[in-house]
Amino acid sequence: MKRFYIIGFACLLLFDTLGQTGFKFSALNARPLDYSLEWVIRILSNKWIYITTLSYIGAFFTWMILLKKAPVGPAFAASRLQIVTVMLVSIFIFNEPLTVTRTLGAIIIISGIIFLALAEKKLASKQKDNQ
Amino acid sequence: MPEHIPFIKMTLAIFGLWLCSICCDTVGQIAFKCAAISPKRQSGWHYWFAILRSYWLWIGVSAYGVGFLFWIAFLTLLPLSQAILLGSANIISVMIVGRLVFKEQLTPYRIIGVSLITFGVILVGIG
Repeated sequence: MKRFYIIGFACLLLFDTLGQTGFKFSALNARPLDYSLEWVIRILSNKWIYITTLSYIGAFFTWMILLKKAPVGPAFAASRLQIVTVMLVSIFIFNEPLTVTRTLGAIIIISGIIFLALAEKKLASKQKDNQ
Repeated sequence: MPEHIPFIKMTLAIFGLWLCSICCDTVGQIAFKCAAISPKRQSGWHYWFAILRSYWLWIGVSAYGVGFLFWIAFLTLLPLSQAILLGSANIISVMIVGRLVFKEQLTPYRIIGVSLITFGVILVGIG
């Protein structure tokens, strides 16, 4: 069960992050933004938009597999870890600035995930006791 | 903020769009969960075909489609940082509706975890 969650969320995180990164690369490669057919063609003739599409499909399948077992409330919250990974990609690949507030936010999100993991552990051991 | 719209109307519009957007996100996630647990056979190709044929999946997809439009409308009225602050409420609403519909337990650790994530998302959004 523990492995199911770790692998599931790791895949979801990878697909989500790749999807967002792909969107950004597609946008950058399609510049200048001029709302014309040429702009749409520039988007469609770049590999990144297809990487993004595949990532979204992968994320959908992973999410459905996770939801078969995971409670939707905590799982939906945990999936926000992608904000932290997208932030890291933004810093290293796109040279976006890292602020104190963002760093603090990222640390708080990660500590929230740790609490959710502890909650699962407690619930699992409680179930064992009941059997 | 557009000058020509009176303040009270503006506030109502923001509140209404926010509520609609949160409702769409919540309905979407609950529908996805319903779709994921609805097939009788839980593995193989049969499982995925059953999901694709399940009306819950399409309710979820439509909810997300409509929610996307509400969110864009909401973003035209508010700066992104404030919008993310309000938009993070969907983490809380999905948890509450998950409790009501699927009897998901709200243990203290889960409440702490979800609250921390919501707060963290807001902080990153404010930047």
